[in-house]
Amino acid sequence: MDAVFKALADPTRRRLLDELFREDGQTLSALEERFTMTRFGVMKHLKQLEEADLVVTKRRGREKLHFLNPVPIRLVHDRWVSKYAEPWAAALSDLKNRLE
Amino acid sequence: MEKVFEIYIRTTPERLWEAITDSEIRSKYQFGSRFSSDFTPGSRFEMSHPGAPGPLGEGENLEVDPPRRLVQSMVALWSDEVKSEGTSRVTWEIEPVGDSCRLTVTHDELRDGANNELYGGWPMILSGLKTWLETGELLTTPGSLMYGSPADLSSG
Repeated sequence: MDAVFKALADPTRRRLLDELFREDGQTLSALEERFTMTRFGVMKHLKQLEEADLVVTKRRGREKLHFLNPVPIRLVHDRWVSKYAEPWAAALSDLKNRLE
Repeated sequence: MEKVFEIYIRTTPERLWEAITDSEIRSKYQFGSRFSSDFTPGSRFEMSHPGAPGPLGEGENLEVDPPRRLVQSMVALWSDEVKSEGTSRVTWEIEPVGDSCRLTVTHDELRDGANNELYGGWPMILSGLKTWLETGELLTTPGSLMYGSPADLSSG
């Protein structure tokens, strides 16, 4: 889980995930066009996302496609967020409803 | 459109295959849903829930290769919106990695911009599957509460 938090701690890598959320299964070349950094830079960030299992790649002929894997984020949610945040979030939204 | 879901689970391919194809086990992590099928190539399956008025889904087992690979066609039936999406395809692939298995669920042949109810449940399902195989415990997720609480299910 350290790898997931580390991968998510960088704004470029979060943007890469957003980009794949918008359109899944993109090639490195397609992703590179949306960033001002070098191809090597984008590749390095993608590799870190792959190591955290947040990005899964599939070979399709000569192309390598990148897919957003949302499962590790769900695991973080089930391990941490549901335990700490949800009772608060529920209480706050209840309070908001009553005040409104 | 194609969506890919991957998870590492500390278990054997055989136990993982059983957890995917055994209706009783499946119901523990797939929101209480039952899968009736004999899982032979070309056979049909039906997904249902004791708390739902009708079947939730159906399809065909296109490829059955235990304990490695299962390919299913899938028609969602739980609402008029998802019914109109038609048939998509779900591929389960199990690969042993050290003391664990890598499970990849690929949901493809989806319409571009398909209703995300079709594939949006996979992270919850796979997280619940991992919890059950690794700890023997049930995981409560929004999905598992859709048709009643897990306590209702285990008693019924």
